[in-house]
Amino acid sequence: MNASTHPSSTLRPADLSLHSSAIQQPSASACLSGVQLGYGKQTVLRDLSWQLLPGQVVGLLGRNGAGKTTLLETLLGLREPQAGRVELFGQAALQIDDAARARIGYVPQQSDLFEGFTPAQLLAYFRSFYPRWNEAKVEGLLSRWDIARDKPIAKLSGGQQQRLSIIRALAHEPDLLVLDEPVASLDPAGRRDFLRELVDQVLDRGTTVVFSTHILSDLERVAFNLAFMSEGQISCQAPLDELIEQLRSVQGSAAQLQSLVSRLGAEVLRRHALEGGQARWLIRLPADAPPDAQDDRLQALNLEDLFMELT
Amino acid sequence: MNHEQIFSINTGSTEPIYRQLMEQLRRRVASGQLSAGDEIPSVRELAQSLAVHPMTISKAYSLLESEGLLERRRGLAMRIAPQHRKAQSAASRIELLRPSLEQAAETARQLELSAAQALQLFEQILQELPDPQEGDAA
Repeated sequence: MNASTHPSSTLRPADLSLHSSAIQQPSASACLSGVQLGYGKQTVLRDLSWQLLPGQVVGLLGRNGAGKTTLLETLLGLREPQAGRVELFGQAALQIDDAARARIGYVPQQSDLFEGFTPAQLLAYFRSFYPRWNEAKVEGLLSRWDIARDKPIAKLSGGQQQRLSIIRALAHEPDLLVLDEPVASLDPAGRRDFLRELVDQVLDRGTTVVFSTHILSDLERVAFNLAFMSEGQISCQAPLDELIEQLRSVQGSAAQLQSLVSRLGAEVLRRHALEGGQARWLIRLPADAPPDAQDDRLQALNLEDLFMELT
Repeated sequence: MNHEQIFSINTGSTEPIYRQLMEQLRRRVASGQLSAGDEIPSVRELAQSLAVHPMTISKAYSLLESEGLLERRRGLAMRIAPQHRKAQSAASRIELLRPSLEQAAETARQLELSAAQALQLFEQILQELPDPQEGDAA
């Protein structure tokens, strides 16, 4: 891919259509602008800007090593960027006060539970930090997810530790929930349970959720918006429905493709050169294109195809 | 019929989930498995049962409503619209109702009932009707 066709220049950077059509300027739950962060000579976040609006459920997609965990940790104020600004609920992320901190729930990729504690002890400990704590939810989830309250955490299975980490993050009813690969150790039934819990959060509290996962079928169900991370930036953020309906892959000679694109009024997002003078382009149809007035050569994309194209 | 029997989600498809839901509901109606007046699950119920974002469900429902397949009723579950009656104009059907309502209004006045009380009763009676298809006895 070359820089001139990078999707960031053509796709809308953030979707504003969710939930809040009545509110003109909803204040973002999290806002990053011009964030630069690297380790040694390696740049991980490159002049990255990103916003999470209240009530959005955003799936964060990127290849292994793209910097998703670094991005989420930076968003939470756990890493200090070399340049740029990070705000949580309007406060500088590195210096948020306790009240703002209590509005955040976080499930890290690496379990950070105290392994010597039992689940009951761990939850009692965290409970003391938060002004709000939904004991009924905690008890309900511990029972439903079959977690032994009085067994040392070190002796729980990976899946149970992950569930406990999720319970801890939901217990204080956060307004912003950040989940980094939250379901890697869960079986399909456990993942479905977790997704239902997320849907409940959205229904009951309008929680802002961002989560990264490689399990695309989960994202497809609950993430209304997707953010694709590539080359240290959010290269594209849009509602999944819109991406599926508007993005197409098309193959042919450059001249054929050019005439097709102008006939459809489409935008070219990426150009891949193929052998023998052929090319494959990723194009975006105009939003009002009639679904039938298209062309046989246009190939629809599913989420996995989008992942391959946009990350 | 429970929700899983009406709807199923096919992930990894090039058809967005809201369109899958619309298509499945259309098919249920076309095949007669759902018919006019049947209630459909609320956005909340279906979002929870399918583990799908509620916006996706409400998008499908709203589009089906504007197609005329679903009918939204305030404070009540949405239901399959009685499409066969769309042919008659609403205005002419309302005129058919006028005589019985004029009579009812006369009775309400004699009993010194307020307009709100009378309307509340009428609304209640409408809601208690068992099946909209049998509700056209004049």
